[in-house]
Amino acid sequence: MTGELGTDEELAEGSRLHRLRHSRATVWVTMLVASVASLVASFVLSIDALRLAEDPSADLGCNINAVISCGTVANSWQSSLLGFPNAFLGLITEPVVITLAVASLAGIRFPRWFMLAAQVVYTVGLAFAYWLFYEAMFDIGALCPWCLLVTLATTLVFFEMTYVNIRDANLYLPRRVQAGLVAMVRSNLDLVLVVAWILVLVLAVVLKYGEALFA
Amino acid sequence: MSKQGRIRTQQLREAQRIAQAQQARRRRLVTAVGAVVILGLVAAIVFAVVSTVTGDDDGPQAASGDVVAPANIDPSGSFAVGQDDAPVTVEIYYDYMCPACGAFEAANSGELDRLVADGTARIELRPISFLDEQSRGTRYSTRAANAFATVVHGAPEQAWAFHTALYENQPDEGTEGLSDDEIAAIARDAGVPDDVVERFGEGTYEPWTASVTQKAFDSGIQGTPTVVVDGEQFQGDVYTVGPLTEAIESAAASQ
Repeated sequence: MTGELGTDEELAEGSRLHRLRHSRATVWVTMLVASVASLVASFVLSIDALRLAEDPSADLGCNINAVISCGTVANSWQSSLLGFPNAFLGLITEPVVITLAVASLAGIRFPRWFMLAAQVVYTVGLAFAYWLFYEAMFDIGALCPWCLLVTLATTLVFFEMTYVNIRDANLYLPRRVQAGLVAMVRSNLDLVLVVAWILVLVLAVVLKYGEALFA
Repeated sequence: MSKQGRIRTQQLREAQRIAQAQQARRRRLVTAVGAVVILGLVAAIVFAVVSTVTGDDDGPQAASGDVVAPANIDPSGSFAVGQDDAPVTVEIYYDYMCPACGAFEAANSGELDRLVADGTARIELRPISFLDEQSRGTRYSTRAANAFATVVHGAPEQAWAFHTALYENQPDEGTEGLSDDEIAAIARDAGVPDDVVERFGEGTYEPWTASVTQKAFDSGIQGTPTVVVDGEQFQGDVYTVGPLTEAIESAAASQ
């Protein structure tokens, strides 16, 4: 009887691709890679910010060929909203995510309240990353490749973290909401949504800056 | 296990099977719809990239219409300030929105005035407009360059003063820039006659602005401000008073 149930369950688990997507390793490795990428980008941006602080005219000239002109993102007020370069926030927070991902890969399970706190803080980080993306696109009018990497990586980390917290019921949600979210995750709707979302961002960048990037 | 128990187990398993089938069906639906949406987006991205690569090179900011060059400007797009026989020629490529150009003007316009007045230097102003993206859709760079070209055409004597005044009132990058009315007021203050100011709004020289911008790109200009002294790009500090003056004076002395 148990054997029979097992095969049934396997059937329900779906194709190899589906199982790979939902495997523990995939989830945490994705989060690990994305958070390392985010850390590297934050590091580069922090060094740039220090260079600019040393010599404000270092990047003063308006470059024609790059979309990054003299209105470089780095010189805008948005890039140091809290009084210091935003990139410092990445240096502070991404190592926590890296630790979380590595520890989870090693088999450690964090308490629900811990994962909930991580979810809340990372959601704030995501909102901040998207505010910056919006400002860079429409107000500063310049794109910086490292900032785009941060936007992408933050999205992926948020996606995987939310996935884990829905799967493990860490969010203290009402039962119905929780069940609905689990069904969504099982049907891969979340994956479709995040891929479509990233493609929408790519499309937006191409439409607005394609001329400067490819022409 | 009692008979009742067996029935119950069977019922449970049946329910489970139904739930799983439902799940699988939902997953197939999501996969199918998702694939369509994702492929559609990928196609849109490819289309957008291809159409920018194969599209015309004028850029989105290029004004349509015939290129009409203003009078008093040489075919390569420069407007000369000062005496023709001045020993040194200083070419300046600039964009009215570019804050670095504003810093350049703030540091050097007094010195350039003096060097022009005493006949040492002849300035060739080369306005270009590549920072239209920086003015929230109002295309300030192009509007300002068009106004400048209109003044060059109709009131060349006031063009240098108007140019200087535009930088004295330079808007911050990333704002909407000066309105057409504000540009007109600055022109009037600089002594540009009303009948010339009234023609700013026609945008006659916008296509010309786009074409000289393209020419500047093609000639290898990398950014603004680009300062060329006697044919050679000046590499020194253009944001403080002194270095450029010295370069101009030593070029004059060596002739």
